[in-house]
Amino acid sequence: MKVSLFITCLSDAIYPRVGEAMVRLLARYGVQVEFPKQQTCCGQPAFNSGYWDEARESARTLLAAFDDSDFVISPSGSCTGMIQHYYPKLFEKDPVMLEKSKRLQAKTYEFTQFLVQVLGVTDVGAVFPHKVTYHPSCHGSRLLGIKDEPMTLMQNVKGMELIPLPFAEDCCGFGGTFAVKMSEISAAMVSEKAQHVLETEAEVLVGLDMGCMMNISGNLMYQGKPVRVMHLAELLYEGVKLA
Amino acid sequence: MAEQELTLLEQLEKESRAKQAKFIGGIAAKLGRQEIAKKPVHPFRGAPDFWTQLEWSQEERIERFMDNWQSVGGHAFHFATMEEAKQFIAERALELEAKHIIRQNQPELNELGLEEALPEVDIQVWNHNPAENWKAHAAGADIGLVVVDHAIAYTGTITVLSSQDKGRSVSLLPTVMMAIIPVERLKTRMGEVMTHFDGARREDLPAGIHFITGPSRSSDIENDLTIGVHGPGIVYALIVG
Amino acid sequence: MNHGQTQPATVKERSHIALNNEFLRKAVKFTTERLRNGKKKASEEHGNWEEWRERGKQIRLHTIAHLDYYLNQFVENARANGVHVHFAADGKEAVELSMKIAASKQAKSVVKSKSMVSEELHINHALEEMGIEAVETDLGEYIIQLAGETPSHIIIPAIHKNRYQIAELLSKEAGETLPADTSILAGFVRRKLREKFLEAEIGMTGCNFAIAETGSMVLFENEGNARMVSTVPKTQITLMGMERIIPTFADLEVMATLLPRSATGQKLTVYMSAITGPKRTVDGDGPEEMHIIIVDNGRSLQLGDPEFQELLNCIRCGACLNACPVYRHIGGHAYGGTYSGPIGAVLTPALQSNVAEWDDIANASSLCGACYEACPVKIPLHDMLVYLRNRKVEKGYGQTAEKIGMKGFAAIMSNSKRMRSVVKLGQIGQKLVVRQGLIKTKIGPLKGWNSVRYLPSLPNESFRERWDSLVQEVKNENSPMSEDIRTRMEQALKQRENGGRSHG
Repeated sequence: MKVSLFITCLSDAIYPRVGEAMVRLLARYGVQVEFPKQQTCCGQPAFNSGYWDEARESARTLLAAFDDSDFVISPSGSCTGMIQHYYPKLFEKDPVMLEKSKRLQAKTYEFTQFLVQVLGVTDVGAVFPHKVTYHPSCHGSRLLGIKDEPMTLMQNVKGMELIPLPFAEDCCGFGGTFAVKMSEISAAMVSEKAQHVLETEAEVLVGLDMGCMMNISGNLMYQGKPVRVMHLAELLYEGVKLA
Repeated sequence: MAEQELTLLEQLEKESRAKQAKFIGGIAAKLGRQEIAKKPVHPFRGAPDFWTQLEWSQEERIERFMDNWQSVGGHAFHFATMEEAKQFIAERALELEAKHIIRQNQPELNELGLEEALPEVDIQVWNHNPAENWKAHAAGADIGLVVVDHAIAYTGTITVLSSQDKGRSVSLLPTVMMAIIPVERLKTRMGEVMTHFDGARREDLPAGIHFITGPSRSSDIENDLTIGVHGPGIVYALIVG
Repeated sequence: MNHGQTQPATVKERSHIALNNEFLRKAVKFTTERLRNGKKKASEEHGNWEEWRERGKQIRLHTIAHLDYYLNQFVENARANGVHVHFAADGKEAVELSMKIAASKQAKSVVKSKSMVSEELHINHALEEMGIEAVETDLGEYIIQLAGETPSHIIIPAIHKNRYQIAELLSKEAGETLPADTSILAGFVRRKLREKFLEAEIGMTGCNFAIAETGSMVLFENEGNARMVSTVPKTQITLMGMERIIPTFADLEVMATLLPRSATGQKLTVYMSAITGPKRTVDGDGPEEMHIIIVDNGRSLQLGDPEFQELLNCIRCGACLNACPVYRHIGGHAYGGTYSGPIGAVLTPALQSNVAEWDDIANASSLCGACYEACPVKIPLHDMLVYLRNRKVEKGYGQTAEKIGMKGFAAIMSNSKRMRSVVKLGQIGQKLVVRQGLIKTKIGPLKGWNSVRYLPSLPNESFRERWDSLVQEVKNENSPMSEDIRTRMEQALKQRENGGRSHG
């Protein structure tokens, strides 16, 4: 069975450590992850801005890259959501690509979905003796309904104190191009989100989408606050090494 | 009605009928039809099936109704007989120093004998003489007294219907409203009340069907709850039986 | 936005003003939180909320899909009830009809209860030009009418005003100084508006729902002013959006379950009135004459449009405003139209069919989907926002800089080798601006981002560069796959072949 990593452009360029953690964590369960190199980006930045032709050009690289994969796993609920919810819409007038989109849609999983729903892993055996708070990113939790999976995984991490984030379900203000186009509104949103993170007095902020994490951590660093920001895959892998 | 009004109404009526075909035909066209749709099958009518099974015992209906009515700021009491209800109304009227009461012209209230119990108070019976200005009577009343047509325990709601003998103003314009709920009219769900209206012939429906759930309220000023903005600010629900 | 004062043209400029108004932001946050928590509590207490939402959606979908039938049925029944029914293709026609009726009554005064349709039409202004006083009687609407403003929230119109500002407005009206005490202020309004109700020749209402089978119109409210308006004056004029229809009273139970809980967290609004025609001859009160003006005003543009028809399912509860993190920060006026929040961002351009002018409010969303999650009839507003943006681009209204940017995006992302070179260029080029692993510069497109954030620098090695060595390292760590996991994976594949995986 071929399990392929859809790294996402953001993790590829800025957060390669997230992909590495996923690959290493899955290796512990005998899952050998492959990385088809022709993949680029899911096309969401262009899609959300209304530039669907441009989004399609980007999306085609994924459809080609994962054509013969059995499972496609990604460290982003948002990019997974793009494939799950919008690829069929994007290619609704192109029967060949539509068929490919539907096949990709069926085999694509966000990382925790794959771990919990497919592999049945709910406890990776990690130890992480820190105060942690969790920001559930909007697309993962709302579009894909990923709510229980990360919670189960985190609750089973030994020594970790999980502190509820106030107004956790509120968007951090990233929204891709929104953060640039409507920077002032986005700034108000991320400032409030960071404030809520600081209220928890957590040492670590964990999430499932590096876009949101980059946004919140960018503001925390700007404020000079030493909160460590991680993807859950990183946290779990670090915890496994500690165990 | 003045001549000019009648002419206008006739003219508007003509225009309306002429426009109807175009307006609704336009909707049909947008929906991809050449003619107006025939009566469709309505597979999702009303509440979900699991909901229509819900039915509470009388005791529970009374308890839940009272809880709900009180939770929004109303006063609720339960009496065994109309006589006890009358005593209560008379006592409260004296306490509130009510000078004018307006009540519906309903048989239960005609038999209540409130007039004898409160000889000093001016008690008007809605519309018993159509020549008078009944809205003004209601606006001047301290208490409006009604017997409800239906009540709903799940939401703490009373339902009053208008007629020749039942003014819409009586439950609306006075400072205080008192509503008698004969216990057999207290249902569990709103749907049980709705079947009366869906089941009735259109021409038998009253002009006004009012569902009332507590005292008039507003939070429009800084979210600060204000009671009695336009409708009655003090409301009593008196379950009898 | 006062009358006569021109408001800034873009949502960016309008939100800039809002973001710098501390009181406004606090007030909006406080109110939306209260309403949001109320909804959460009420829907949880009621239980089976998803089933109710689904039922609400199905009823609305069904009704709109057969709107020609149901609207026609409503019209025939309302007429049989003695209502004068009129049709208005646009706002102008609706205003003209109202004016004709008002003129024939020689009306001097019209009392109004809250109606979003009437806000669409700007009817108060038209009445005043005719010398007819139009009085808003909902407490919040009355306050903003005195202030010469427009509502900034569907449910709480004066969300942006504090009690001191309100006391000042009402004192002017009272001719004496009123203290900033809610109950005293509300008491003044009660007395003042009582006079207005009794004087007015015409009562004007909106319409929450219209029941096709009986020709009844339904109003939800808490204050009792809508009952006043539809009971006291001799003539009632109801402005009704043509999509307000539901088939039966049984369906009203579903709407009555969803609307108040979603709007304010109430089990039911204090008053829900179903009015079926003018007063009967023998009745002692109620309007002698009743008009219903059925308004299109852009609504039919959504019909038959697969991406936007569901907009007509909206029951105007305001839950999407209360859930929206953007609304939370900028409030209603920044949206610039009659309707604000997520529903306004879609409805305003959709009703006016002028994507080019209004597209910018479709950009004022991070597409987080909170609106969809809050919507009691499950309207996918977050998707519609993307569709609007797409239509703007397809029609050629895209901004030049963005167009070029997106062409560049496509050029890079259509080819992984090009993407790799661009990342490489970035890794080298950033050396000019990286300090302690961060990019803090505020030049060019980074200006907005870096005004409250730092950008992480690119690591020396991207994932795709790291891959070849990583795969070698991991090879040595690989554990054998357990039977259990293998079986689970095989099962997942099999399930998929049978079409078994559901999505989100």
